[in-house]
Amino acid sequence: METDLLMMSLCIFIPSAFALGLLFFPKGTEEYMRWWSLVGTAATFVFSMFVFIDYYAMLQRNQDNTLTPAGIRRADASTQLSARAEAAANVKARSGEPSSDDGLARYPWIGRFGIEYYLGIDGISMAMVLLTTVLFFLSMIASWGIEKHVKGYCMLFLILETGVLGTFFALDFFLFYIFWEVMLLPMYFLIGIWGGPRREYAAIKFFLYTLFGSVFILIALLAFYFTDVQDFAPKETVAAANAAVKGKGTAEIHTFDLVLLAKVGKQGMDWMHLESEAERKKFVQAIVDRREKERNPTSAADVERRLEQAFFSPTFQYVMFLFLFVGFAIKVPIFPFHTWLPDAHVEAPTPISMILAGILLKLGGYGILRIAYPICPWAAHALAYYLCILAMINIIYGAFAAMAQTDFKKLVAYSSISHMGYVLLGIAVWPESNFNNWAWGMNGAMYQMIAHGISSAGMFFCVGVIYDRAHHRNLDNFRGLNEPMPLYGGISALIFFAGLGLPGLCGFVGEFMVILSTWNFSTPDHPHAGKVLAILAALTVVITAAYILWTLQRVYLGTNPAYKDYKDITPRELVCIIPLAILAIVLGILPVLILQWMEPHVTGLVDSLVQLKM
Amino acid sequence: MPENELQPGLLFVVATLLPIASFTILLLWGAIRWALRPYASDNATVKTIFEGLGGAVPGQAPAYVATAAIGLAFLCSFAGFCIFLAEVGEMHELKHKLDHAKLHPGHHDDHDHDKNEKAKHNEQKVDKAKDAKGEEKKKVDAAKQAPRNLQGEYNALKNRWEGAWDWARVFPKSTHDSARGSILQIGFRIDMLAAVMFVMVTFIATLIHLFSIGYMSDELQKEVEDHEVHTAHGHYHRRGRFGRFFMFLSLFCFSMLNLILADNLFQIFVSWELVGICSFLLIGFYFERTSASNAANKAFITNRIGDAGFIIGLLIFWTYFGTFNFQEIFARVRAPEADSHGAIKLGKESAGHKIVRGNLVKKYPDGSASIKVENGVGDVAFIFPRETPGHFDAPRLGREKYAYHDPAPTQYGYIPYWLLIVGGLGIFLGCVGKSAQFPLQVWLPDAMEGPTPVSALIHAATMVAAGVYLVGRCYPLFTVEVLLTIAYVGAITLFVAASIAVVMTDIKKVLAYSTVSQLGYMMLALGVGGWTAGLLHLLTHAFFKALLFLGSGSVIYGCHHQQDMLKMGGLYPKMKITALTMLMGVLAIAGTPFFSGWYSKDEILAGAFGFFMVNKHHFLLFLLPLVTAGITTFYMFRMWFMTFTGKPRDEHVYDHAHESPWPMTVPLILLAILSVGVAWGWPPHEPSHSWLGHQLHHYSQPKTVEFGDLVDDHGHGIPVDVDFVAENRSALENHAIVGFLALGVVGIGLAFALVLYYYGVLDPEDAKEQFPGVHRFLMNKWCFDEFYSAALVRPALQIAHWCRNVDTYAIDGFLNLVGHWTVLTSAWSGRFDRGIIDGSVNLLADVSYAIGSWLRNVQTGYLRSYILFLALAAMGVWILLYAWASALGAP
Repeated sequence: METDLLMMSLCIFIPSAFALGLLFFPKGTEEYMRWWSLVGTAATFVFSMFVFIDYYAMLQRNQDNTLTPAGIRRADASTQLSARAEAAANVKARSGEPSSDDGLARYPWIGRFGIEYYLGIDGISMAMVLLTTVLFFLSMIASWGIEKHVKGYCMLFLILETGVLGTFFALDFFLFYIFWEVMLLPMYFLIGIWGGPRREYAAIKFFLYTLFGSVFILIALLAFYFTDVQDFAPKETVAAANAAVKGKGTAEIHTFDLVLLAKVGKQGMDWMHLESEAERKKFVQAIVDRREKERNPTSAADVERRLEQAFFSPTFQYVMFLFLFVGFAIKVPIFPFHTWLPDAHVEAPTPISMILAGILLKLGGYGILRIAYPICPWAAHALAYYLCILAMINIIYGAFAAMAQTDFKKLVAYSSISHMGYVLLGIAVWPESNFNNWAWGMNGAMYQMIAHGISSAGMFFCVGVIYDRAHHRNLDNFRGLNEPMPLYGGISALIFFAGLGLPGLCGFVGEFMVILSTWNFSTPDHPHAGKVLAILAALTVVITAAYILWTLQRVYLGTNPAYKDYKDITPRELVCIIPLAILAIVLGILPVLILQWMEPHVTGLVDSLVQLKM
Repeated sequence: MPENELQPGLLFVVATLLPIASFTILLLWGAIRWALRPYASDNATVKTIFEGLGGAVPGQAPAYVATAAIGLAFLCSFAGFCIFLAEVGEMHELKHKLDHAKLHPGHHDDHDHDKNEKAKHNEQKVDKAKDAKGEEKKKVDAAKQAPRNLQGEYNALKNRWEGAWDWARVFPKSTHDSARGSILQIGFRIDMLAAVMFVMVTFIATLIHLFSIGYMSDELQKEVEDHEVHTAHGHYHRRGRFGRFFMFLSLFCFSMLNLILADNLFQIFVSWELVGICSFLLIGFYFERTSASNAANKAFITNRIGDAGFIIGLLIFWTYFGTFNFQEIFARVRAPEADSHGAIKLGKESAGHKIVRGNLVKKYPDGSASIKVENGVGDVAFIFPRETPGHFDAPRLGREKYAYHDPAPTQYGYIPYWLLIVGGLGIFLGCVGKSAQFPLQVWLPDAMEGPTPVSALIHAATMVAAGVYLVGRCYPLFTVEVLLTIAYVGAITLFVAASIAVVMTDIKKVLAYSTVSQLGYMMLALGVGGWTAGLLHLLTHAFFKALLFLGSGSVIYGCHHQQDMLKMGGLYPKMKITALTMLMGVLAIAGTPFFSGWYSKDEILAGAFGFFMVNKHHFLLFLLPLVTAGITTFYMFRMWFMTFTGKPRDEHVYDHAHESPWPMTVPLILLAILSVGVAWGWPPHEPSHSWLGHQLHHYSQPKTVEFGDLVDDHGHGIPVDVDFVAENRSALENHAIVGFLALGVVGIGLAFALVLYYYGVLDPEDAKEQFPGVHRFLMNKWCFDEFYSAALVRPALQIAHWCRNVDTYAIDGFLNLVGHWTVLTSAWSGRFDRGIIDGSVNLLADVSYAIGSWLRNVQTGYLRSYILFLALAAMGVWILLYAWASALGAP
């Protein structure tokens, strides 16, 4: 039995199983339904921890002993996803049994189209998975106040978790897409049924926006699929395909395998960079030689013909990158595709806002990191300058727009837009030299995603706490909550400071790492681009401080006789917010807790991309 | 030093961590109390725990925890300071010998850097030829094996006072060989400046904690009445928050000590923000007051403007130097004194500790370049190897030197000179924000909304001085252009603030402006090359300004929270200890001889004068501080006279005034003693012989402003001064003149104060009426607030509204329009469906129905009529066929 397959699959489908279980609850047992769902999310969390432990053990097993400048050991290059995928293919070819400790699981699903049930974990997805399971668990606690159609709510909530986790685990593009869409529908209903007064508008807006993006992703997915990748596929795959056509030449190989597609994308970038005929000949010959050695021979003419496929042209790279980018940018959200977010947040119930800001936005960033960049590095590099500008607009625009809001939740929503801009910025600063800085940027982007997941979920929860008492969210009508609710005020201040990027709290780490990386960014056409970006990013900290402090002042400081008798935060609310507060502090003080196992693969991605330019 | 021996430097680390431990305890304590309070009345168990934690009435215990923590921290720092004092001499001597050995490689036995020569050898090909020579030399050196391993001894001593830990790092493959730009560390490094600052901060903080136990005693009540907040039912009532105050104080102490402890810019930045947030929390301590919360926001946001500059500075230095560690940055930006051939010369001058500039001769595709070395001019500055690359050759004047784009630790690199300036200015902007310098000084006076002990600790003695401290710390990073900016900013600030202090009537506001002004003096001193003078003033100022603030706190406490001097007067008999101790503070700040302020201020003025003598067109840099010395005396005595002498202006205040209890007076007395004597030295009449100043000067002053310190074999001083040779010489020579000049000005200031406010010969009201415009201008604080409101705040809000409107009207408007169109189109297509498609189908149906019903008439049932129809039909078909055939057949 392949343990990692079991663990990852359980992690994905436990929530769905619990959702099915809910069907057997009779009416009137709402309290039990909530507990049942809570147990479901808790079980998922436990299983994600199992996955994490296995993953961590794998890193420990494969350490790079040469890299000990300060006594710190780093995970070996063999733990990179691509290396593991190759090793797994080898092992399977040799023994017929898949290895059960490599964090990969791969089974044919729809053989006719080469669609696989292909799951895998590395630093990037592990971080996201843990964030997801933690936040779903906490949001379930926050869902106790939902009174309407509890059964339906819990079911959709759990199905949503399956969708999200599946998306993070999937390494097959088709599977990824399925989960991506699975996620969409529960969210639509969760906003549309349990939301505020304008919930239908918000839900439809959310749905259409995301669907609009999904269409582009679907096109890209199909376009990749129609590329024949036999020159880059593992030799076992090629051999199997050739065997299937029984000696009638070489079989075409089409794939949804993200790891393989990433490899093809990088090779494509190398290919497109070659200028002279001699270099191109050499490149082709290398493929021919390798295939010869792998005993899947092909002719140079065939290879050349295949390298003339659309995939290996700049235009295709541009278009596909933009398609993927738009699809994911809507989720992040990136200006100007962001306007669904404030509406969705304002209308969604508190726990759904937490999920939305804490996790769903990260799917966009994750998609860019996992799919858009590795498969279309050529376009990513060429468009870096424009991506940076978009990111900068996000940061500044979000901050200013937040400042002008009077709805508490909308303000937090816009602050999310601003903070997610750092994620894109960190990813996009592909420099011309000194790649350390890009490594900082990428790691910073990942860290910012985690930190924002914690701080924004916390912020939305804080808004929810006061909304439950005051039944409005108008910033101008609050004031003076610190006196009746000192504990709530203190925790809120902490969470908001984390959002502000105060050192010692989680928000600072990612932001600082991203900003560190920006100064060094430049393109041949814009040698000072990074400097301008960095200065703007530095100036934005003022705006961020301004709107967050102003909010704190308007809500918590001062006096307001109307709210004098409010009850302080309740134990149930504390159970939900305290873990977030603790995470905000711990991750702010000891980023190494995350970086230690995340950094090898994020930096590995940087390494694999910059090699193309060296 | 054996590996397992504890470093004495850790004493300072412990001192830093004690307050955070106290903070954590108080935080958890308070949080649990808060959490239990609502349930204490329902549940007996909860009630027991709640009562055990102090119950509904705040107790004094939190104060004891916090005071004990900071008191212990003081003991640790003091012990550390004593040990350091014992070792610093030896350390300094060893360093001296090492430097000497480097300057004269032939004369001395200990050549330290040949061990790893071969391994680290990493120089460029251009220098290959010279290297051969170097190899020979090395052999010669090796032959004269060192009897003493000076470097080893020095390192062992040095390592007792520093340490570092990784905080975050990345490992890209491209940098396997080096750690450049891939580690963020936290660490500590104790030098004389840090040690002295530690003792000062912990000592003052301890006293202020003690003072606060008395001053904040109102907060011990279950219900506190806030006289400043009015509600519909009279004054506002709230719970006392005694513990919270001490919790914030502890957090502040940690952040401040961490700032001093730091051996790198990153850690300083972290602490920088943390002290900022503590300041925010404490200014807003009375958060029910709108003025307090506004002031807190203003303080933090203004500071963040500075921090934005700080970040830019950080980015530049990080990008080019790949490290935040001070020692490493300095090693990169300033030339070493010697290379493998002895002292480095640029022409005839020593290049040691200089920023060496040059012009790009050729740039290679990978970004590296050949740079022609110039003396004092050129577009780029050299980045020196931060680890000595074994044998190495320094840049020589007029020669070309190869520099890498991305230098590894042992390589040369280059940085555009303008970026060095921008980076320096960026860091300085951070200091401008934190130290409330022009043009960001606006937040500090408003910050007086916080409780007075906070003003004393944070907004006078320690945090606001952090900006000065950082300038002192980063001194070698600053180019002359940056230093000149610093000097001018300081000069403008000290004058502007002093001029406003003259008209303020709120006792704390006077002190606040005086703080801004004194910080300006420190900045000025640093800017004109008086490193020791500036930092000595930081230390003396900390004592006497803490004293003055605590004194004002005592007055305010005694007068039942009356801060307006127009309501005071004649308080001397009521509070003698307060009055006398404050007088000590006033005398100290005025620069009365033999009071601590005199030693430092005299040095500053001498430095400024020296600078002026050399650079005559910068006369303002001397004139402004000189004049302001008089103004300072004037407004400080004005304050003292208005408060303690003359007739009581408000009988009510006077009648209820009383001296403060011992926890408040004891700190006053201790601080008064130190305000007088902290800078003493022997002989006491020589300001330049201050013991404290000597310690700073001798052991901590950066080499960039030192001169005549190194003596060569023939007994001649080697000028290793870099930036301020002539200035400092002139300052030394003209010290006495400046001293008398300053005394004269102080005398004039005192005379004015006596005439106006003590003897009442002239009425200040007359002066006010004589110059109403000037008075109003000063009362409005030079209209900075109005200007910022119009130039920054309102535009920012306007932009924010535009952004919101873009979202609402442009983007969503467009989307809604698209949605609307879609609905409209679907409506049309609905109509099309129903009208045209369905319509035509229906029409067809109708028609066929009509035809059908018409045809029904045909179905008569008579055979003959059917035959008739059949015949007609057949005929019709035939006719049609015929017509078709003939049409085809037609020509």
